Amino acid sequence: MADLTKGSYETEIVMRKRVSPSSFLIALSKPDRFTDAMPGQFVSLRIGKGVSPLLRRPYSIMDITKDSIVLLVRVVGKASAALASGKIGDVIDIIGPLGGSYFEIKNGCSVVFVAGGTGLAPLLFAARKWAKERSVGELHLLYGAESSNEILDDLCTGIFTEVHIATLDGSKGFRGDVVEMFKGLSEGGILPEGELFSCGPVGMVKALMDSNTVSFTDHYTSLEAVMACGVGACRGCVVPFKSNNGTEYKSVCGDGTVFRAEDIDWEKWGKK
Amino acid sequence: MRNKNFNIGVVTFKNPVFLASGPAGYGIEYRDLINLEKLGAVVTKTISLMPKEGNSGTRLQETESGLLNSIGLENVGARRFFDEKLPELLDAGAKPVVSLACEGKEEYLELLDITSKQDNVDVVELNLSCPNVEEGGMGVGTDPALLRWYIKEAKHILGGMAVLAKLTPNVGDISSLAVISEKAGADGITAINTLLGMDINLETGTPVFDRVVAGFSGPAIMPIALRAVWEIAKVVRIPVIGVGGISSIEDAGKFLAAGAAAVQVGTAIFYDPGLPERIVDSL
Repeated sequence: MADLTKGSYETEIVMRKRVSPSSFLIALSKPDRFTDAMPGQFVSLRIGKGVSPLLRRPYSIMDITKDSIVLLVRVVGKASAALASGKIGDVIDIIGPLGGSYFEIKNGCSVVFVAGGTGLAPLLFAARKWAKERSVGELHLLYGAESSNEILDDLCTGIFTEVHIATLDGSKGFRGDVVEMFKGLSEGGILPEGELFSCGPVGMVKALMDSNTVSFTDHYTSLEAVMACGVGACRGCVVPFKSNNGTEYKSVCGDGTVFRAEDIDWEKWGKK
Repeated sequence: MRNKNFNIGVVTFKNPVFLASGPAGYGIEYRDLINLEKLGAVVTKTISLMPKEGNSGTRLQETESGLLNSIGLENVGARRFFDEKLPELLDAGAKPVVSLACEGKEEYLELLDITSKQDNVDVVELNLSCPNVEEGGMGVGTDPALLRWYIKEAKHILGGMAVLAKLTPNVGDISSLAVISEKAGADGITAINTLLGMDINLETGTPVFDRVVAGFSGPAIMPIALRAVWEIAKVVRIPVIGVGGISSIEDAGKFLAAGAAAVQVGTAIFYDPGLPERIVDSL
């Protein structure tokens, strides 16, 4: 069982690197507690010192190196733009590692990873960590984005048995979305039997679950959510699950971020 | 060191800085980030007799310096709370104040009955104002006769426990409701609960929240809360606990200067969990 205690820390930006027109790697100095952080766990960052933006922003951990926590930051709004424009040495207030569940690859198990956009981050961490610590089977990455600009394939080299790329505009790899590519590969018998790990937009995860009719024993997904507390207290980032007494809401921040996709009550969730 | 003690009824708190009901959940979720033992008290999320699954759809929407929430009083229900959650909160060294839902009268009376049997509880806060649940508090906190009934029953059934009345700001004159609460036997007034707000999704042209309206909190509401505390403190003799948008030591100082005997910190712990302890240190 992993250590799930968390803390509040002042860290410094130790590396900032643009990896696509809109994405950056940001590395933060690593508090000791993060040495054992797990794939699927995240940090919540305070952006600036004021009250706008008010809430912290959650980022999946993409890697833990000897000295740093590596995050993948895509600029989508004011907060991510402020974070991405940080300078080396800037102090960032973080809380973490957060999340009560995580990706784990058992010895000898093969995994197919399906990433949409920045959903790549926790999957890279999972593949890298478990391949280092255990004797895993085949690890295949299916990775989709709008266009080749946003495909960060340099980050994926040397980790996977095979990397399959899909772009909506066809500028690289398969033309279409990553779930269509998954269907083709899986029906063609190209993918190994084992588990399915996914992270990406909710629509992708749902479509993937509906397509998983072949040979994957379990589909685990790390969900994205708008969060307030990050620690399972406020019940703001909840997702409905089927239960004996109707619906049980679980929080992405406290119970997740990693859930079995089949356990989610997609019908109820889809109503929002 | 200066004595920071503070009393509500016969109950003594080590200092006048509490966690507000709601953001901190059962309190225990924050124990790694906040030294709960150091605070005057932790007001739990609102507990109802039966478990509540909470609201469907979007539950959070950030605004400029504020936060809309539509959680819907999700909680495990009184029995599980007292059996499982409260002991953990006590283990963490916290002084609990249990927030009670003011629902239908029968359920409320049963909730009070269960609460009255808890040896480890000596203060409750009545959530007379949660705007999130259609059948819930909204009517109670705005209707003088109902307000009186809910407070009197709490005082009667809970025996020696101190009872805080947490008032809604979504009324014309909050200070007259504070006076009614005092006369009904409340040992203190907590002001204010969230304001009612809403948001629209421009892509669909429809409300963001399934229940349309949501509770509005955060720094944006601080001046409104401060005004309410100022007005209430002038007309009641019982302690007033100020809550609403407190985001700094200075904000807490303003509430105390406006007549509050204590303060509660809510939304601010999301981005600054160290704030409540810094306020304690500043006193």
